[in-house]
Amino acid sequence: MTLYSLLFYLLAIIILASTVMAVTRRNLVHAIIYLVVSFFGSAMLFYLLGAPFLAAIEVIIYAGAIMILFLFIVMMIDVDRHKERLFPIRQCLPAIIFGLVYAAVGLMVTFGHSGSKASMPIAVATPNAFGRFVFEHHWLAVEIVSLLLLVALIGALYLGRLKIEKSAAAGKETP
Amino acid sequence: MQTADFTALTPLLLLAAAIAAVMLQIALKRSHILTIVLTLAGLIAAMLGVLAVGDMPARQVTPLVTMDRLAFFFIGLILTATAATALLGCRYWEHAVGQCEEYYLLLLVAALGACVLAAAHHFAAFFIGLEILSISLFTLMAFARRRMASVEAGLKYLVLAGISSAFLLFGIALIYADVGSLAFPIWTARLQAAGETVSPLLLIGMGMTVIGVGFKLALVPFHMWTADIYQGAPAPTTAFVATVSKSAMVALLLRLFAPVDFTAEPALFWTLAILAFASMIVGNILALRQDSVKRILAYSSIAHMGYLLVAFLSGGPAAIAATVFYITAYTITVLGAFGVVTVLSRTDADADSMSDFQGLFFSHPWLAGVFMAMLLSLAGIPLTAGFIGKFYAITAGAQGGIWWLIITLVLTSAASLFYYLRIVVAMFSPPLENKTQPPAAGISYSGGLVLTVMTVLLIWVGSAPGPLIDLIGRITQ
Amino acid sequence: MNVPLTHLLTLAGGLFFIGIWCAVTRRNLIMVMLGIEIMLNAAALAFVGASLRWQQMEGQAVALFVLAIAAAEVSVGLALIICIYRRYRTLDPAKVQ
Repeated sequence: MTLYSLLFYLLAIIILASTVMAVTRRNLVHAIIYLVVSFFGSAMLFYLLGAPFLAAIEVIIYAGAIMILFLFIVMMIDVDRHKERLFPIRQCLPAIIFGLVYAAVGLMVTFGHSGSKASMPIAVATPNAFGRFVFEHHWLAVEIVSLLLLVALIGALYLGRLKIEKSAAAGKETP
Repeated sequence: MQTADFTALTPLLLLAAAIAAVMLQIALKRSHILTIVLTLAGLIAAMLGVLAVGDMPARQVTPLVTMDRLAFFFIGLILTATAATALLGCRYWEHAVGQCEEYYLLLLVAALGACVLAAAHHFAAFFIGLEILSISLFTLMAFARRRMASVEAGLKYLVLAGISSAFLLFGIALIYADVGSLAFPIWTARLQAAGETVSPLLLIGMGMTVIGVGFKLALVPFHMWTADIYQGAPAPTTAFVATVSKSAMVALLLRLFAPVDFTAEPALFWTLAILAFASMIVGNILALRQDSVKRILAYSSIAHMGYLLVAFLSGGPAAIAATVFYITAYTITVLGAFGVVTVLSRTDADADSMSDFQGLFFSHPWLAGVFMAMLLSLAGIPLTAGFIGKFYAITAGAQGGIWWLIITLVLTSAASLFYYLRIVVAMFSPPLENKTQPPAAGISYSGGLVLTVMTVLLIWVGSAPGPLIDLIGRITQ
Repeated sequence: MNVPLTHLLTLAGGLFFIGIWCAVTRRNLIMVMLGIEIMLNAAALAFVGASLRWQQMEGQAVALFVLAIAAAEVSVGLALIICIYRRYRTLDPAKVQ
């Protein structure tokens, strides 16, 4: 067992444990903080898998931007946190059945597949090479994703807008 | 990056330019009329772009998209349906919400996503297009923010589409882990080479992809969202979901699975065949028990996607032609049907219950006639586009020898006649006394234009399908 | 990296399962969105792992797009949730529908 694989298993345990903690919390703020830990773990895993640029992006966007956005929302709206019954039985049964099927399929994949059992080689995609690759081969995707961000902006702006309805309605009724 | 790449992308570039123009216009000065004019101008320019470059040889632009004739045909279809939705929305939104210019902007972006989906040749393009489409769709569904049903429909779609696209993404990741490439041709080649001994990783990846596609096409058992969303969303959005989103997914289905030889892949064939069978049966049975016109149309759309899969599963070139024809006829019909619903809608709620349509013939004979034509086309009565589509599907299925699916198709469409006729009967029965009919002046020129065009197309395709069949034959050869 | 791809895929699969468990069983819209985020992150992890296995950068590029998509989805989704909260004063999906 080399240092790399040791680090991998350590990170895997941290990620899984913190994610499990996150989804079982009743307090939303705690859940989000646990998830930030999980995403930091994922970022380190990305680094280990030879994607340093993605590791940085994961910290900046996932752990930074998205989770902070969640935190904003949770603090903005005062959630009735004690009313939620965690994991009611009615919903747990299908989830458990699904989980068993999932575990069976997962074991089948892990032990029934020979092609990917070999250890993966060590490689690093430097940010420079990665950037060149993205803009040489996937420039169209970058452009389309920019439109996706535009539509997200417009959508969030429209749905989150507060007063406009009332003033517009008032304007219509009393011309 | 060459000039030829840009030439091939002309329709998409024009559409993107239209998006930028509409956005700037809204930022500078809010004006409903101006936005509509700009939107339509952009859509028409993009359609002209399709006509101008549509006959060029297929060209692959980056690994992501291939602009070939099939892609151009579907892009044309998507643009037409978007233009019809925009025109239908014009009078509808004027009354329903205060400021509604963003609707057209979102509509254009959604159309662009659908176009990317129609031309996708790579899994990355597949899910980026899909996400643009679904993110704009749930905003479009929740657009009537004053109505609870509309916001709820948006929420439901947000959660279910989010989960289904996560499934799709994970499936794609597994396929990539197994195949080592995200391009469709390499994937299908790998599938063909593997024959019956597909590795479990690929099999699970494929299963998760089918879940994603099945969700968007609303095939049973991934259909739970359909009825609530069709009913809750504003009528123009429903028309858009039923036509643009579905035709883009059908284009993708053709690219993903049409090159696969189904006789060599029994697992895939049986999965899709069972989905088709279940959709035909469940969709029609659930539609029988509804009282809401929008819900009936929702369940009937589930059944129609089942019919479409029958055409698709027959295999061979006839299958592709039949599928393309079916989705074209379906798009025309559904746009007409939801057009009538939109035109009849009041400012506070959409025309939905049977009583809204009762006695329509006496107050608006023309509208009742259009709606009847659309419903008969959905039922597959001769002289309408729907009949030719179904006929074509059955012929293709007979060539492929999938008799049990054909028998199901015939039997379930016979049963479907019942609920379509229920609406027709309601329209011809005497109007309710205490019912306030929508005002006669409520039908706008734009809505009337869309309905006229759709009716003419419906009857033209239904009585003289030759030109369309020739066109589709040239595309799919 | 001296672990086989299957171990990485098992980790990603586990994360994906936790995500879907969270999205399906929790009765709180914000937790549902968090569940979807966990699922997307699991997919990104699988992409990066597969990218290493095949010694290509394509998987990494896709993972980058997954991050963008997650950000876009979550921003509109949270706006919609706020819209819901203003009206119903609850985040329980069962009470909304």
